[in-house]
This record gives sequence, structure tokens and C-alpha cells, in this order.
Amino acid sequence: MKEVIHQYGVELDWVAGLAAQLGGHVEGNRIIIPDEVHPGNRYILPINESLTAFIIDVNYRQDVVFKLRNTRSDFVGIYFNLTEGDSIHILDEVSRTAGRWGYNLAIFDADMQGDFQVKAECTTYMIAIFIKKTALKQYISNIPEYTQLVESIFNPKLNTIVRFDRMSNQAWWLMNELRKVSPEGPLYDVFVTGTVYGLIGDYMDQLISQEIIIEQVIAADVVNIMTSQAFLIENIENAFPGIAGLSSKAMMSETKYKKLFKKMTGVSPNAFFLSNKLSFAKEVLETGNYTIAEIADRFNFFGASHFIEQFKNAYGVPPKEYLTQL
Amino acid sequence: MTTERAEFFYHYTLGPEWQQQIVEQLGANLADNKILILPEEIASGGSIFLEVLPGLSVLLLDMTFHVPVAMTRIPTDHNYYMVYFDIGDEITTHIVEESIHKAGYHSKLGMSFMDANSKGTIMPPVGERSYSLRLFIEKSYLKELGASTRDLSINNQLFDETKNTLFFYSHIDSRSKVLLNNLKEQHFTNPSFELKLKSAALYLLGYLVDRVSRFEPIINKLSQQDIDNVLKTSQYLLDHLLDEFPGLQKMADLAGMSVSKYKILFKKMLKESPNNFFLNEKLLLAQKLLQNGDFNSVQEIAYELGYSSPNYFAKVYKKMFGLLPAEVLIKAGLSG
Repeated sequence: MKEVIHQYGVELDWVAGLAAQLGGHVEGNRIIIPDEVHPGNRYILPINESLTAFIIDVNYRQDVVFKLRNTRSDFVGIYFNLTEGDSIHILDEVSRTAGRWGYNLAIFDADMQGDFQVKAECTTYMIAIFIKKTALKQYISNIPEYTQLVESIFNPKLNTIVRFDRMSNQAWWLMNELRKVSPEGPLYDVFVTGTVYGLIGDYMDQLISQEIIIEQVIAADVVNIMTSQAFLIENIENAFPGIAGLSSKAMMSETKYKKLFKKMTGVSPNAFFLSNKLSFAKEVLETGNYTIAEIADRFNFFGASHFIEQFKNAYGVPPKEYLTQL
Repeated sequence: MTTERAEFFYHYTLGPEWQQQIVEQLGANLADNKILILPEEIASGGSIFLEVLPGLSVLLLDMTFHVPVAMTRIPTDHNYYMVYFDIGDEITTHIVEESIHKAGYHSKLGMSFMDANSKGTIMPPVGERSYSLRLFIEKSYLKELGASTRDLSINNQLFDETKNTLFFYSHIDSRSKVLLNNLKEQHFTNPSFELKLKSAALYLLGYLVDRVSRFEPIINKLSQQDIDNVLKTSQYLLDHLLDEFPGLQKMADLAGMSVSKYKILFKKMLKESPNNFFLNEKLLLAQKLLQNGDFNSVQEIAYELGYSSPNYFAKVYKKMFGLLPAEVLIKAGLSG
């Protein structure tokens, strides 16, 4: 498996190194890589002194592990990721993979190291935005709800910025609109810049309704929480394993486990488990091959009526009605 | 006297400095060098001006004027083009004197592109919300963007000011309309608003360059008088959409130029021949009338619009919108 050790930043001194490790070279704003390795577009655009965008629209022809080892800590990376196929994973030391569970947006402090594996045959479409912490702080301090918190958020002794999220419909629309533009010439820069401002603005709206939990996080914590999520998904047909067992598996205290889980994903372990359970159950329901009672039993609900009630809470309609709407 | 229209003169700049004229002449309050608030007795609401990137600035204006004013943009030799988007209904209709057969309507085009050295006067309606967006694009920057979309020698001719004047007046294209309507839902005070305004400005610029690259290049100088005269005739057509097309000779006479010159200049500025322009606008009004629920049959609307044959009307309507008018019609009885 190909291994690429690289770094990112608002300044562009990382570009040539990344190009070389991928077996390519830099031409203007573009990293050119021989088509037989990974055909596609890799485009870097410095937008202003505190903002750089990196657009990756690539087909991978072989497995690659990207090891992000930033030497700068003055920025935050915001990754809008519309990858199709079996793709990005975070690995721990023994290379066990943990999935993404529908997250297509990640926000990472530059201090956060991470290993990401991309599988062959997958198509990655990602916009990575590198923004100086000073600039992000400025943006966030404009949100009235956060004026009290902003100093703590950006104090590395108190907090690490790390978050997995889902992008909004508007963000998805922007990314697809950009994809329609030919990645050549100065007009592309106009659309890239417009997309990046739009994505940041849109994420700020998303932030307003979120609870921010101030806590320091190290890379091992991220891996442990992701692994814990993978464990929950593997056991999605069983009953909720309980916080005690989960936290000891994740090698954390119960308090820390619950806090970090919520900080990174925005939901409690229990809510994460239930919403995924319902989502898997919905998929089974959609096949039309099982009765509601069978599904309730298979996914370990207390009974059909419990399943119906939870389903209705999550999707607004009871499962039977949902089926007829399909 | 309050009925007298207060006149004032100003010009824009690519940087924020133009706003000082509004402060000095109208007593506006300028905050952060980007937000202008007029005195409440003149207008409520405000405007926001941002430099998006070197060569591109945006002004969003959301105001309700309380007194009649005439704001005249005086020609300057500043090195930029202005694109104006009027974000509101392009066709407004209302019932006149309770009679469904007298639909009053007002038709206008929401988008214009002009050189900083052309003149324009705006008389905003009193007591009605004015919502508009302007892009200011440095000439050399637009030329560079244009060069990436078309043949270089044509691009050079288009941007050669001794040979050509860039100008057009049109409807807002549908992609831009979606963006502008999204923006209109956002509040000025929203913390993400400036980022979204910048994003919209850049997309509007991108859509503009893409759209004009498909225009047939007509290389011609336009004097201020040419512009005024041709726009007088397009407005005449918009004001007489219920009539028949008056004929080229009459339109050219109205513009005070020869038919051949008139045809070229009209096409250069409005991007269509006078006849096609008139027919398309008529059909856009037809669409509005069909959806408004003020009529009971396609026939009534066809006659209202001056078509002698409802079948012919149905045919041309379908050609433009892909549906028969009967499929679109909302009958009078059903709307209330």
C-alpha cells in the first residue's frame, strides 16, 4: 500500500512535497499526477492571507494511506467530503478501520494528527478549507451565542477543535455547482472562491444551533471514539451495550467518553446508536421482505409498538405509512 | 414641499470611498465603512458594500423610501463596469377597478450591465421595498475573465473602448435568480451574511461571464443618446404588450435613427430583435396571467394579449414553455 506522509497549511509550502510523494509535480495551482496512478483534478487556491482551498476530485487506482503530520498549528482544516465508495478511514496502530457513518464534513485542528486510507476504485470529491485560527476566531466571535465561549474554543490548553458532521443541502448544492465548472482558467477561481465563502458561511449557520463542548482531545481519543462508533454499528441489531462497557473499551472514564463522543459527533452514544439502528431498520423495511414485527425483533426493539413509535419520532411517519409512500 | 422630488448626484467607486457622498449629501450614517443607513425620514433599511476581491465589489441595497428622490449616477472615467440586479417581481399585475378584464400590469427587465461612464437615474418607488444588488467589476479583470471564454481577437475587440461599448439590458437568468432569492431570505444581521454575500457576488460574476460568452458579439460604439433612445423603445414595447407589434419603422422613428442602425443597436443592447423581444415579453406576461387566477379561459387571455387566434397563441406558448396554456391556467373561480 502506498503511504503518503504530508502536511497542510494556509501557506503553500506543503504543495510541492505532497505532489512529489504522489509521484507528480506542481503546475501553477494544480498538482499533476500521471493519469494511470490517480486521474482527476487537484487544485490549490490561496484565497487570502488567512484562507486556502484545496479541491480534490480524483479516482484512486490504488490504495493510499495519507498520514497527515502538520508542522504548523496556526490553522484549522474544514473538510467537505463527497467521496463515493469505500474510502476514508481512520486507522489505529493495528490498522483496524473505523467507518464514517454518513459524516461528510470534518473539522480538525492542525495539531490533530490523522491517518486516512483511501481505497482503490473510489472517487473522492473533497473541498478542504485551511483557515488561520485567528480568522476563524474572528468569524465565530460574530456569532452572538459564542462570544462567551470563543476564547476557550481557541485556547489549546482547554480545547481541541475536532468535529464530525453532516453538510447541509446548501453546502452539497455549492459543491455540485462548482463541479459543473471546467477547472481551467480564471473563471474557475471565481467559482472556487465563491464556493469557499459560501461553505464557510453555511457552516457558521450550522454552528449556531450546535452545542460546543470545550475539551482537549488527542489523536488517540479520536481513534477510540471512531472505533467505538464502529463497534456500535457492528452491534446495531443488539441492545445498546451500555456506557460502562463502551467507555472501558475506549479506555476512558464514563464521563470523558460521553463528553468526547458528544463533542465530536454532536450526539450522545445512545442517540447515535438509536438513530443508526432506525436507519438500518428502515433499509430492511424498504426491501419489503419483512414484517414490522420481524424487524422490531431483529433489531431488538421492545416490540412492534416500540419500533413504530421510535420510527415515527425519527422520520415523522409510522413505518407502514412510510412504506406506502415509497 | 414634500411632493417635490429631492435630486442628488453621486458616483460609485470600486473601493468604499463613494459612500462618503451619501453621508455628506443625505446625512446617512456609515458604519464599519460598509453599512449605510439613511435618515429615517428619507428611507428605512440600509445598504451593505463589500470588496470581494481585487477587482470585484458588491453593493446590496434593501431600502424603503419614504419621500420621492431622484438619484443620478453621474458618468465617471472610473475603470469598472456595473451590473445591476433588481430583485423583485419582473412582472407585477393587479386588477383595475374590480374588472377582471382590465388587468393592470407593469413589466420590467431585472438585469443590466453598463460602463461606469454611462449615466443613469433611479427614482425608487415611495413606500415600497427596493431590493437590488450591484456588482462593480474592474475592466481589466473582466477582460481577463472574458478572454478565457472566447476567441482572443474577438475579446480584444469587445473590450476596445474606441470601437465598442459593453452594455446589455435583460432578464435575470434563472441560475442567478435562485441565488438572489436565497440571499433575500438572509438577514443583514446574520453573522454569516457577509460570507454569503461575497459567495453570491462571485457566483453572479461567474454566471455573468458564462452567459455573455454565448451572446453574439456585436462590435459597436454606443453614445449615451443611443442608449437612452433604444431603451425608450424597449420600454415602449414593455408598456404596450397588449397591442400588436408596432413595426420596425415606427420603432426606429421613435428612437430617431435609421431602421438598419436601430435593428443593430437594439440587438446589441437587448440581445434579441425588437420583434422577438416583443413576442417573448408578451408570452412572459401570458404566463403570468395564466397563473394569476384572474381569467376563466385561455381564450380570454389570448384576446387580452392581442392574439386574434387562441390556437396560434397556444402554439407559440407551447414552443416557448413546453406546455399548453390550458395546462398552466388557474381559473378565476379557483384562486380565491
